[in-house]
Amino acid sequence: MNPILIGPLTVAGISTVLALIIAVLDKVLNNYGEVEISINGGEKKLQVKGGAPLLSTLAAENIFVPSACGGRGTCGACKCRVISDVGPHLPTELPFMSPDEIAHNVRLSCQVKVRSNIEIELPRELFSIKKYKTHVEKIRDVTHDIKEVLFTLDSGEIEFVSGQYVQLVVPPYGDIKESAQRAYSMSSKPSDKKHVELLIRLVPGGIATTWVHKFLKEGDTVELVGPFGEFRVHDTPAAMICVAGGSGMAPFKSIFYNLYETNAFPEKDIWYFFGARTSKDMFYLEELRELQAKWPRFHLVAALSEPSPEENWAGDTGLITDVLDRYLQTVIPKNDKGWEGYLCGSPGMINACINVMKKHGITEDKIYYDKFA
Amino acid sequence: MKQSPADKQAFERMAPGIITAAGFLGFDDRPPDRIIAEDERAFEELGLDFENVADRLEELAHKGEAGLGEPITMGKLLVQSGDARGMLPCPWEDGFFHKNAVSISPVDTPLEACVEGEDMLIYSELSIHMLRVHHFCQGRGSPFRLEPALLKQLLF
Repeated sequence: MNPILIGPLTVAGISTVLALIIAVLDKVLNNYGEVEISINGGEKKLQVKGGAPLLSTLAAENIFVPSACGGRGTCGACKCRVISDVGPHLPTELPFMSPDEIAHNVRLSCQVKVRSNIEIELPRELFSIKKYKTHVEKIRDVTHDIKEVLFTLDSGEIEFVSGQYVQLVVPPYGDIKESAQRAYSMSSKPSDKKHVELLIRLVPGGIATTWVHKFLKEGDTVELVGPFGEFRVHDTPAAMICVAGGSGMAPFKSIFYNLYETNAFPEKDIWYFFGARTSKDMFYLEELRELQAKWPRFHLVAALSEPSPEENWAGDTGLITDVLDRYLQTVIPKNDKGWEGYLCGSPGMINACINVMKKHGITEDKIYYDKFA
Repeated sequence: MKQSPADKQAFERMAPGIITAAGFLGFDDRPPDRIIAEDERAFEELGLDFENVADRLEELAHKGEAGLGEPITMGKLLVQSGDARGMLPCPWEDGFFHKNAVSISPVDTPLEACVEGEDMLIYSELSIHMLRVHHFCQGRGSPFRLEPALLKQLLF
């Protein structure tokens, strides 16, 4: 043999042997075999293959814990309480945990590996969450940066309450090599069990919204997981003071048209404050005005924060919180029924609205919202 | 220049799918230390200071929150401060940062006509930290790239 080849061949040979040893060790050491996940004191027991994160292991068993980052430990959404000892919290989990959650061993299910039998607690509602295969029936631009997307379920029906949300499964696309999930409130009515409608606003640099706005086409197949969330109309006679901006319109569209259709909670008055920057950011105005005209207990207050003179905007102006403040002060009748707050928007908008509502005597326990951020 | 082990690990964490789905390098095929060195040079040539730029971006993000999620006009700029769920670790592992996206663009250009990276900048709390502490503007093609020339044009 040529002596020049001996060196490289020896190195290659040693590398191959080492790679084989690593592969064999990996198979032996990381083979956790079949393990049991016991949920809620044995209410549900799953026999699963060990070794994978709890989040994906549960998803493979059709138990869908909400998650928005695909298991990278950056959204903090997939919390669940682990009763068994699975080791201390990881540094990746700690930023999302309160001291109380740490004390009760609340964990990010994407960061906990199922290596042996494990006992956990999950909200019972998660058991009824399903993954739906759908196709995109229609995509419509409602503003320059908000799309209304209608999905048709390929089979089965979806049962949900107005105000709830689904997770949109975003497949790998372009340079994005992994699937991701993002939460969007449903704007469709619960009575339409074959369709789900979402309003999706383009977020600069956003993985999911870029996919919807630049890649998704009518006819495409899309998976939805849900329904999730506690946001819903409360059964009291109190007037609903609803505030939204942008795609925060979605749950309210579902709520209003459902209430109108079913005449549920007939004693409730409904005030809807919707804010946008300019007329071109405003949408569904005509439909909502029509609804107001035929439904006496529904009151629409649309406001623009920066209308230009050329727009000839005749409605309210200013930040929606300022408009809300004015109406609570001088327009909306105060009576024995009281007021309840319903909010959908950015955390900043929600916090600002809570402050205004508290100033006018609405206690925090009567202000409802789903904070998506 | 030889990379420190900390830099080497940080650069590995910038790949797509580690911290964020898209990663921090875009389509840039330059190694991160070269991106940093070239952006430091560009900052110097443009008369920019990393601290000042980070302060200004932070100030705009903070003021943009007054728009409650909608864009607001601030002088020659349109600023939109949006939130996303969760926290992101810095690739250098020196902190966790609230996930958000702030966009700034010229007020006289309609938002729908703005092109990310050409006349619109997008950044987050993490972008500001990486700019301030690590002088890292992200790779070309990353939606969150803080292009030095565009920083100069929009901020000063």
